[in-house]
Amino acid sequence: MISEFLSYGFVQYGLVAGSLVAVICALPGVFLVLKRLSLIGDGLSHVCLTGVALGLVTQTSPLYMSVPVVLAASFGILQIMDKIKIYGDAAIGIVSAAGLAVGILLTALAGGFNTDLYGFLFGSILTVTRAEIFGCAVLLGALLLFLLYGYRDLLAASFDEAFALTRGVAVKRLHTILILFTSLAIVLALKVVGIFLVSALIIIPPVTALLLARTFKQVLWLSCGLALVSVWVGVYLSFMFNIPSGATIILVSLLFLLIAYVWTKIGRSYAR
Amino acid sequence: MPSIIHARNIRFKYTQHWVLDGVSFRVRPGDYVGVIGPNGGGKTTLLKLILGLEKGEGIIKLFGQPVDQFTAWQKIGYLAQKSPVSQSRFPISVEEVVLMGLCYDSAHKEATPENLRAVHHALALTHAENLAKQIFSNLSIGQQQRVLLARALVSNPELLILDEPSTALDAGSREMFFALLGELNQKHGVTILLITHDTGEVGKYISKFMYIDRELVFFGDKEEFCHSQKVADKLGQFAQHTIDHLHNHGHCPLGCTCGHTHSTQEAHHD
Repeated sequence: MISEFLSYGFVQYGLVAGSLVAVICALPGVFLVLKRLSLIGDGLSHVCLTGVALGLVTQTSPLYMSVPVVLAASFGILQIMDKIKIYGDAAIGIVSAAGLAVGILLTALAGGFNTDLYGFLFGSILTVTRAEIFGCAVLLGALLLFLLYGYRDLLAASFDEAFALTRGVAVKRLHTILILFTSLAIVLALKVVGIFLVSALIIIPPVTALLLARTFKQVLWLSCGLALVSVWVGVYLSFMFNIPSGATIILVSLLFLLIAYVWTKIGRSYAR
Repeated sequence: MPSIIHARNIRFKYTQHWVLDGVSFRVRPGDYVGVIGPNGGGKTTLLKLILGLEKGEGIIKLFGQPVDQFTAWQKIGYLAQKSPVSQSRFPISVEEVVLMGLCYDSAHKEATPENLRAVHHALALTHAENLAKQIFSNLSIGQQQRVLLARALVSNPELLILDEPSTALDAGSREMFFALLGELNQKHGVTILLITHDTGEVGKYISKFMYIDRELVFFGDKEEFCHSQKVADKLGQFAQHTIDHLHNHGHCPLGCTCGHTHSTQEAHHD
């Protein structure tokens, strides 16, 4: 059954794209969760609706239109946090609401919802193109280089921002780059899990890994592993039972979270 | 003598009102300065300005360099009031936390055996060596504070900046903590700037007091501090209970050698 599943070209494309997206979402997700900025994924994914609607209205690629829109929104969030000095969750909420409102308005002007828009809202992993896979691979390469070079500084800034500053760590620059990577990852993940669920891919695998891991490096590895297995199992189940792939992927990752929670609870009570 | 910290006419405001206004002072090598003052008086803001964590008006120089151009951060150890992860799970070992106190030449460089020796030496200094392999967030708040002090000490700093570090410690740990700081200052010549409300316990080690209440009310030797009418008036407003408590035990509340013992009702050194 699995060999038949893997023999389809569109399944192979979907699995490769899903695997790349899993890692480019899970890695920045670890740092965002620890910085209590994990909802930035949720906020920026809502902003994607504006980009997708713009693309559909102007008959251009919704993904290409989403890139500048989401990048602008991420800068907007950083500016609101920095200049107006309000909490991150409030800044995310403001930008998210603005993105959704403009997106809904543009969708209405374009004549309402259509099949293309549904694909971006709920994910359509089997329609991923070669160019999108290439984009994911380039982003993954850049992200790995960034993490390799900035690992210690990122760790220090995530653990204790004020102290990291007193060690000369460029905390603000690191956060800006991290959020830029997250923005691009969200855009590229739209086809895999959809606007509504992309933030889950950023939040759930790192949270599960944080429950299980004993070192920070383990958190990074486990997050990637859990995200990858969630995508593979989710795509397989969606193919087998003809159900939406995005939602299935997220439910699988939630199941892992539940298992990890129960496992740690049992472990603790056993230790007592 | 060159200054370790030179502050000239520092001003800072968060919104409309000035939190600090016209604060000037010099901290010399070997000074042990106790920074006191009422809540909201600008003590923590002053430390943040010194460390470059906030930007205000005026001039602050660290080791002769303006703070915004200062790069020799290994000369400074910093310990904040609160542990950064007291509520959340952050899977990082005590060893790794202390390692963060060292400045690396390149960002991706792994810890060397020499780095690890420095980490264990710092942990031994704060009596936390047995915690080295434990997960930091699993420790008690008091243990976390000892580890964070080790992180502040690991680079052998010439200046230690501490913001109410003893708040989470029990009485025994607090005494050990202040004795350690006293030893670092007296034996190793480490300059210390310490925000504290424990004027009684720490008073015997401190050489200078700085009293901040939005402006610099006093900065000078401990003995002069005890005889300052301006300070006595201010202390009466914010910490009479501390003075009373210590007076009841027949000690000068600031641990100085002025020889005064006072009744609870008596004004301090007037």
